Amino acid sequence: MFELKYSALVKPAFLAMAISTALTTSMVKAQDEDAPSTPTPRLPDGTVDLGGNGVWSLPWITNFAARMPDYQEGDQPPMRPWTAAMWEYNKSNNVKYDPEGFCLPPGGPRSMGTPYPAEIIQDRDRIVIIFEGGGHVWREIHMDGRPHPEDPNPTYFGHSVGHWEGDTLVVDTVGFNEKTWIDFGGYMHTDQLHTVERISRPDKETLHYEAVIDDPGAYFEPWTVSWDIRWSENQELQDYICQENNKFLLDMMDDYGQPFFQKTEGL
Amino acid sequence: MKTKLIAMALGALGTLASFQTAAHHSFAAEFDANSPVHVTGTVVKVDWTNPHTYFMLEVENEDGSYDEWAFEMGSPNGLMRRGWKRDTLKIGTEVIVRGTQARDGSFKGNVQTVVIADTCQRLFAGTSQRDFNENDSPKEDCEL
Repeated sequence: MFELKYSALVKPAFLAMAISTALTTSMVKAQDEDAPSTPTPRLPDGTVDLGGNGVWSLPWITNFAARMPDYQEGDQPPMRPWTAAMWEYNKSNNVKYDPEGFCLPPGGPRSMGTPYPAEIIQDRDRIVIIFEGGGHVWREIHMDGRPHPEDPNPTYFGHSVGHWEGDTLVVDTVGFNEKTWIDFGGYMHTDQLHTVERISRPDKETLHYEAVIDDPGAYFEPWTVSWDIRWSENQELQDYICQENNKFLLDMMDDYGQPFFQKTEGL
Repeated sequence: MKTKLIAMALGALGTLASFQTAAHHSFAAEFDANSPVHVTGTVVKVDWTNPHTYFMLEVENEDGSYDEWAFEMGSPNGLMRRGWKRDTLKIGTEVIVRGTQARDGSFKGNVQTVVIADTCQRLFAGTSQRDFNENDSPKEDCEL
């Protein structure tokens, strides 16, 4: 269905419909407050089921600072001077060098706040999150009790191990490369980044996501972000291959007014 | 064919704070929120590609010459969730486009809405630009 289809003739009917929809919505809302929410789905062994017949509609979080607890306008994560300078620089050029604009993976917690939905698939010894967006990528969380490798090769998603603390999935990740940003707005990180994510499903419709961003190379101390992710019943992931025709890059100019690719001089 | 290019001085498009849908890259790096575009023309080509779909629009100027605009919309997955199909915009269709012009001033724009001239049907483009208020009438577009 298109968002809206009406002509001048059906407009009064549309308005009447809109009003009745608004009334129904407010009635349903009133009922919702009294009725318990749909209970958290569980697997046969009692473990929280993070999947089902649907997808998680990831919100697009453009500014991670705004997701810190008790955030007030203008608050910033505890950036080291170079991180703050790079953030200012990224802001000054409208974040045109954002790696996700290059169709590279979002990496880390940003993958849970990037456009397009995701599914969480629980296998026996691992949990896999597949993302429609971010270049159609996935990440794997080892649940078999293995430790992190001693000296992991840096990767976009790092090395993740997880365990359950009650009904909360706790995921510890190290081994990130430095080719991603923390968020769209231009907070950066180093390969010292270590994240601890806590994922729970308080009811069927809600995934609560929290991440501690611990990177002594870029921030004076760890900082925490969190948000809720809504369930979309009966929805499916679709095809999204960002690399296909990225005209944004072909037209992009660098800081010296040269084409970012196909440079004509100074190579 | 009656066509017009109106460079509106509306400030409305300047407020792009509420991102209702998605973009994979920075809107502001490529497009100038203070340069709204409102044109009528004929679709001459459609590129149903990732990460953005494009259509080319032939727009007639007052003096009878033509400009060819390239308009960027959302990705196929985003558009399909909004009811689009790869052939929703057909070659030869007359449409009225609202959007934002590229910073470099070329005939390139990011689409907010497309209205099919014959039917007044309005389609949202799945870009990061604010969707029009659903109570706005597309009639204004049709009467251009």
